[in-house]
Amino acid sequence: MKKRRMFIRMITASLMRRRSRMIVALLSITIGATILSGLVSIYYDVPKQMGAQFRNYGANMILTASGDSFKMSDVQSARAVFDEEEIVGIAPFRYENVRINDIPFVAAGTDAEEAKATSPYWAVEGDWFSAQGDVLVGSGVAESFRLKTGDMIEIAYTPEGNDESSEDGEIVLDNYDYFNVVGILETGGSEENYIYMSMDDMQALTQTEERVDVTEMSISASGDELSDYIDEINAKVPAVRASVVKRVTASEATVLTKLQALVLLVTVIVLALTMICVATTMTAVVAERRKEIGLRKAIGASDKSIIQEFMGESMLLGLFGGAIGSVLGYVFAQQVSVNVFSSSISFRPLLVPITMIVSIAVTGISSLVPIRSATDIDPALVLKGE
Amino acid sequence: MSLLELKNVYKIYGELHALDDVSLTVEKGEWVSIMGPSGSGKSTMMNIIGCMDKPTKGEVLLDGVDIAKESKKNLTNIRRDKIGLIFQQFHLVNYLTALENVMLAQYYHSMPDEKEALEALERVGLADRAKHLPSQLSGGEQQRVCVARALINYPEIILADEPTGNLDEKNEEIVVELFHKLHDEGTTLIVVTHDPEVAEVAQRTLVLRDGKLSKEIVNDHFTGKIRFDDQNPF
Amino acid sequence: MFGRMIRGTLVRQWKKMLMIAFTIALGASLASAMLSVMLDVGDKVNQELKTYGANIKVIPKEASVLSDLYEVEDGNAGRYLKEDELGKIKTIFWAFNIVDYAPFVNAQSELDDGTEITVVGTWFNHHMDLPTGESLDAGVASMRSWWDLKEGSWLDEQTGESSDCAMIGAEAAEKQGLGAGDTIKVKGSSAEKELRIVGVYDAGGEEDSEIYCTLDTAQELSGLEGSIDSIEVSALTTPDDELSERAAKDPSSLTVAQKEQWYCTAYASSICYQIQEVITDSVASPVRQVADSEGAILEKTQLLMVLITILSLIGAALGICNLVTASVMERSQEIGLMKAIGAHNGSVSLLVLTEIFITAIIGGVAGFFAGFGFAQIIGHSVFGSAINMRPMVIPIVAVLVVIVTLIGCIPAIRMLLRLRPTEVLHGR
Repeated sequence: MKKRRMFIRMITASLMRRRSRMIVALLSITIGATILSGLVSIYYDVPKQMGAQFRNYGANMILTASGDSFKMSDVQSARAVFDEEEIVGIAPFRYENVRINDIPFVAAGTDAEEAKATSPYWAVEGDWFSAQGDVLVGSGVAESFRLKTGDMIEIAYTPEGNDESSEDGEIVLDNYDYFNVVGILETGGSEENYIYMSMDDMQALTQTEERVDVTEMSISASGDELSDYIDEINAKVPAVRASVVKRVTASEATVLTKLQALVLLVTVIVLALTMICVATTMTAVVAERRKEIGLRKAIGASDKSIIQEFMGESMLLGLFGGAIGSVLGYVFAQQVSVNVFSSSISFRPLLVPITMIVSIAVTGISSLVPIRSATDIDPALVLKGE
Repeated sequence: MSLLELKNVYKIYGELHALDDVSLTVEKGEWVSIMGPSGSGKSTMMNIIGCMDKPTKGEVLLDGVDIAKESKKNLTNIRRDKIGLIFQQFHLVNYLTALENVMLAQYYHSMPDEKEALEALERVGLADRAKHLPSQLSGGEQQRVCVARALINYPEIILADEPTGNLDEKNEEIVVELFHKLHDEGTTLIVVTHDPEVAEVAQRTLVLRDGKLSKEIVNDHFTGKIRFDDQNPF
Repeated sequence: MFGRMIRGTLVRQWKKMLMIAFTIALGASLASAMLSVMLDVGDKVNQELKTYGANIKVIPKEASVLSDLYEVEDGNAGRYLKEDELGKIKTIFWAFNIVDYAPFVNAQSELDDGTEITVVGTWFNHHMDLPTGESLDAGVASMRSWWDLKEGSWLDEQTGESSDCAMIGAEAAEKQGLGAGDTIKVKGSSAEKELRIVGVYDAGGEEDSEIYCTLDTAQELSGLEGSIDSIEVSALTTPDDELSERAAKDPSSLTVAQKEQWYCTAYASSICYQIQEVITDSVASPVRQVADSEGAILEKTQLLMVLITILSLIGAALGICNLVTASVMERSQEIGLMKAIGAHNGSVSLLVLTEIFITAIIGGVAGFFAGFGFAQIIGHSVFGSAINMRPMVIPIVAVLVVIVTLIGCIPAIRMLLRLRPTEVLHGR
């Protein structure tokens, strides 16, 4: 028992009284541990964070009607399948043929906030529709009528049954409504020829029951998870048919895999080099103490007890370095995450013991070699000052 | 049986005969000094007696055990149990206090005992410096810590290699005084030195030249009671 | 004598010096590998993002106004792009950035049973020999990488009989009960052809109910020889910034110099502009879904790599500093001796610095090449292509190694200057 106390006393004396040297060693181990825990955190966070970036490409899952049509309530029950955190946006769309100045166009009713989330690449000059009677017109439509934001347009909807081929002779009048152009939409795609308005306005214009044709869903989940969700939705919500948008999911999987491989490889290389750096520093720190090792041998220390003491010291350094490093690494990963992805990173408690174990192992192993070689030397030679 | 017996010991490095057919005996409680110019083989002999080196040829009997035939590991154990070393360069662990340096020897030997270590420091007159680091001690004080460390485990032999080589006269006197005290207490002392003043206070002085024992002086004036000077520093 | 002393250290203390050189080499290799990868990662990821398909779409001027509307009425309202101008896309200023493109022509056709079906004529792996001497295989085979081949194979244009072949979407194939190897008769507005199905694909979109065949076949069906409906272009682009946004909003607001800069930067908008210059009566516009997202992802990846690079540079720097300090301190005794025999502080420092720097240069050069190797390992294993080495990496790494070594020496030198020879020699 007393022996252990002396052991501890010696190690703490060495750490405390040889402060400058120990700080050199500790610094090096801390850097190693910081890089380890920082990069590993980033590595694990990259898919999640990058996945969120890939949601810029828009919806990766769509719901279509399995029968004739489906309703908002079906969308809600499909929504319940997901974790709320994974949902980037779920935008329902209802398409109707309308006319402006007797020229046919497609009008879509949707939810402005959700559509903004599912299609972040939509460039809107002006504003999205928010109040009743606001519309967002595609740039193609705007160009053909020289529309600017702030203009009023009249949109006509022909209720079913009132086309020229109707035979019952009953005259159904077109529904008219005036709308306020609040924004012009540019996408580089066919959306530029549509007119977007809120679901309520659409319902008011058509004077029909609510209906959803397509729902775009942007979910931050990978391919396998998505197909699980699809099965679940198809099972739970019979009114809809869910499917993935292959173009988005397949490409995302390809690119994400590469990106993760990149970060992994970089992590491995950086770690390997850092660990070697730690090892060389530890080697230098121990080599410096050859003389002390010789002295200890001269006054009767066995090789085993010398190895124990010096290893104890190195491993204690490894422990401290690992502890400080895992905190600093988390701070670093957090900074990266905030700066690059503007979102915070989740703390991985498991990483703390792993970092500590790795730094203890690296410092231990890298000290073992020079300690062993130092115990081989003849104490007489060392003490003569060679 | 003598405590230490060297029988026809050779140590040969290539062409150089560092020790050439050396034989000597040291009895228990004796105080022997070994003198000789540089390169005469003093250090080699000291290393061999101190169990830090083995002879090329010959027998070295320490307490009846031939250390020339022991393994390296056993040599460490023998050194630990039977020999207290004092060096010219002091060689203290610079981050341990005087007390801890003494305890270090206890630690490797058996059990560290702070009280006993403190007593040892008291014997060398350093009780009040126990908590100081080597860098805070003077040369003489450092050497006295070494003496305390050397005698803490009650060794059969205290082996001192130029113990006064790095000390001024004042400190030299103090250390020699300590040796007198140890001798009076019955400790066997072997002091390697080239300072005649230090050498001649011993009972016997062996002179080495070119690896051979060239002369043995029995210091007649030695009575075991004569002091170096009248002022007892303790 | 100075040279002799240095040689002495390097030769006799080669083990220690080797360790310093080794650490510096590690740091330098880390720095050069990370810098190379960082500088090249943009291009590489951009290349990868091409799997999302075209980021620029070119359509005829007339159609661009109301393409959907006209389609509703009678297909395409009379204006087409010219097939013989297609090659010109590879001659624009940013031709090198155009990695792939394909023309499309739609032929509304009927099957035997009267089902209406869209037959799309396009390039699959169209071979082009460019005026620059290079060659390019362009077409949907690479631009529709997300298509899942259910049966058969991709249509190969480079074999003889490609004009009688077609690929069919999974949905249409299922409806018609067709598979690879079957033949299908299609009747277009001006001709009727029998096509052999070589492959069935699942695209997960509206293409699943269409038939894809060569450009010639579709043109023949619809009687649109030499005309095309649209072109999709995959180009490597620079993410939009303030300048490109201003150019997109109002090109006239730019000064001549800014316009020049805009034209000579690979923005999606400037590439579009250049395509419009070479294709008569065309409107090229970025497909925002692809172009914008590419920009965002590219930017994030680059930023991520920059930060990781900075971390590893700091790590490498501190590692080197540490070891240099530790190893110089280790030599305090030797240096104390030199001071004792009359060396001045200046000459001692110079000696130590020269030794360390000779070591650093050796280590740095070795490390640079090792780093180049690491970069190539990353390039090949992740992207399957070599990382371009930028010359600017060399001076950056060199400066870094020098500064870091110097900083590493400072605490050690300070210690050496404070050193009192007596203390060292008496081993206190």
